[in-house]
Amino acid sequence: MGKDICVFIECKEGKIRKTSFELLTKGRELTDKLSSNLLAVLIGDNVINLAEDIRPYAEKVIIIDGEVYKDYRWDTYTDALEFITKKYSPFLIIGASTITGKDLFPRLTARIGAAFISDATGIEIIDGELKVKKPIYGGKIISWVSPKSTDKVIITFRPNSFSIEKGNRTDEVIEEKINAVPDKRMHLVNITKGQSEKVDLQEADFIICGGRGMKDPENFKILEEIADIIGARVGASRAVVDSKWRDYEDQIGKSGKTVSPKLYIGCGVSGALHHTMGMDTSKVVVAINKDPNALIFQYADYGIVDDLFNVLPALKEELMAAKKEG
Amino acid sequence: MNILVFVKQVADTEARILIKSDNKSLEIENKYNLNFFDEFAVEEAIRLKTKLKESKIIVCTCGGKKAIEALRTAIAMGADQAYLIDNTDMDTEDPLITAKILAGFAKKEGFDIILCGRQAIDDENGAIGPMVAEFLNIPHISAIMKLDVKDEKHMIVERDLEGARQTFEVELPALFTTQKGINEPRVPLITGVMKAMKANIPILDPLTLGFQKEELNNGASKIGVLFYETPKARPPVKIIDGETPQDKAKKLVKLLKEEAKVL
Repeated sequence: MGKDICVFIECKEGKIRKTSFELLTKGRELTDKLSSNLLAVLIGDNVINLAEDIRPYAEKVIIIDGEVYKDYRWDTYTDALEFITKKYSPFLIIGASTITGKDLFPRLTARIGAAFISDATGIEIIDGELKVKKPIYGGKIISWVSPKSTDKVIITFRPNSFSIEKGNRTDEVIEEKINAVPDKRMHLVNITKGQSEKVDLQEADFIICGGRGMKDPENFKILEEIADIIGARVGASRAVVDSKWRDYEDQIGKSGKTVSPKLYIGCGVSGALHHTMGMDTSKVVVAINKDPNALIFQYADYGIVDDLFNVLPALKEELMAAKKEG
Repeated sequence: MNILVFVKQVADTEARILIKSDNKSLEIENKYNLNFFDEFAVEEAIRLKTKLKESKIIVCTCGGKKAIEALRTAIAMGADQAYLIDNTDMDTEDPLITAKILAGFAKKEGFDIILCGRQAIDDENGAIGPMVAEFLNIPHISAIMKLDVKDEKHMIVERDLEGARQTFEVELPALFTTQKGINEPRVPLITGVMKAMKANIPILDPLTLGFQKEELNNGASKIGVLFYETPKARPPVKIIDGETPQDKAKKLVKLLKEEAKVL
C-alpha cells in the first residue's frame, strides 16, 4: 500500500469548516514527512467553488459534486468515500470527530475493513509507524494507540486538536463523478434549520460557560454580550440544560459535548467531574465563582473568587476596552 | 416483533482509574453502571413495546461475566430477555470485532429494530451502532432525539445534525442510536429489581455465533494500545486578587493578553 493520506473535508453553510483546515494542516505535515501525497476529498452540492480554499494544502483536491450529496447521509457519502479509497489507495483516511464524522466513519470502517481510531487528539509518525493519542474515560487517561494490521487506517480527530497554517501549493483539482444512489429504505422528509449562524461549540476558539450559579436563564444575556465581544460561543453545564435554561446543543460535559477551546471561561460552574470531563482539554481555563472551594478551581489556570454578577459587567467593560486597543 | 437493545457496562464516571505498572493495562475501581446513553435505548425500547403488538425486548451485551449486572438493570427497567456474550478471551480493543459479534447475535436471534446508545462513556468510540448496521446491511440513524411508529414497517425518527433537525422515515429492519433528550429513563421499581434478580441470563460463547476463533482473538484486532499515560496536570490555579471586581477583571484581561496570550 502507498503512503498517501486522504482528508475528508466538511462544509457547513457553504463554507469549509475550521476543523477541516486543522486536518489539512496536519495532513500536509505528515505527508511532507512521509514524502507522499495528500488527497483532500470534498463531497457536496455546488462545492466546486470551494476547491480553491483547499488547493494550497493538497497534491490532489478531489471534488464529488452533485445534488444527491446536498444533505449529508451515510449511504451516499459512504459510497463516495469507498470509491475514493479504492481508486486512490490512501493508507490513512482522516476526518473530524463531528456529528457527521461519528456517523460516517464507523460505517465506512465496517465497509472496507479498516483499523479505526476515533475521537483522537494527536498523531505522530515515527519510523513510518503511526502513534495516535486518544483520551479515554472522560480524559482521565490518555491512551496511545497504534494500528496493528496492514489494512487501511481511519482516524477521526476532535475539533481544535491542531493549529491551522496556510498552505502554498497550486496542484490539481479533480472532479470525480460517482453515481451514488440514496438508500431507498430511508427518506429525509424534513429539515428544520436551527441557530446555524453560530459557530459549532466544538469548533469555537473561545467558550464562556454558565453554570447553576447564573441563577436564571435571563442572566445568560451578559454571557452572550461578552461572547459577542471576543467571538465566543456560550456553553452550559448539565444542571443548566436540565433546568431548560439553555438548549442541549450548548451542553458541555460527559453527556454533552467535549470541547478544547483556546480559552474557556466558567461562570458559576461548580466543576463537577461530569462537567470537567468535557472541558479539561481546553488550553486556558478561567473560573469565576464566589465559592473558593468550588472544584472548578482545581481545573483552572486563573480564578476569580467573587460574585459573578459583579465580575461579569466589569469583565465585559475590560474586554471591550481591550478590543478597542486591538 | 423483536426489539434488540445492545448495551455496555462501563466504569462509573466517579470510579478511580489507575494505570498499572506495565503502562499497558488499567486498574478500575469496582464501580460499574449501565452506559449512560444505553439507558435511553432501553427506555425507548420499553416505550416502543407499548406501541407495537406482540413485541419482545431482548437486551444483549458483549462483555466480561461482570457485565451481567448491566443486563439485570435493563431487565429491572422492563426488558424481557437478556444475553451475555462472554468476550473474556477475545480482543476487546477493536470495536470492529465487538460489532461483528453483535451483528452475528442479531442474525441468529432475528430482529426488526435494534437500539443502542450513541456512544459508550468509557472508550467514547461511538462506533458500534453504525458498524453493526453495516454488517447487517440495514439503514441506521444515529443520535436520535425522537422515535415514532408510522406503521408496522416504518418508523419516523428525528435527529440533530450540525445545528439542523432532520426527520427521516425509515423502513424496518433498522438500527437507531439514542441521544440524551429522547426520553427520561425510568428508575426500576422494586418488583422489576426482584424479577431481574431471578432472571435467567444465558451466557453465550461468541464462537457459537458462527465465527472462527482467529476472527475474534489474538491478532484479530486491527489496533493495539502502545501504552497509557495520565494527562498533564495543570499548574495550580492563580487566584486573582484585587480590591474590587473591577480590579480583578482588569488584572484577568491583562493576564490573558500578556501571560496566557489568548486574547
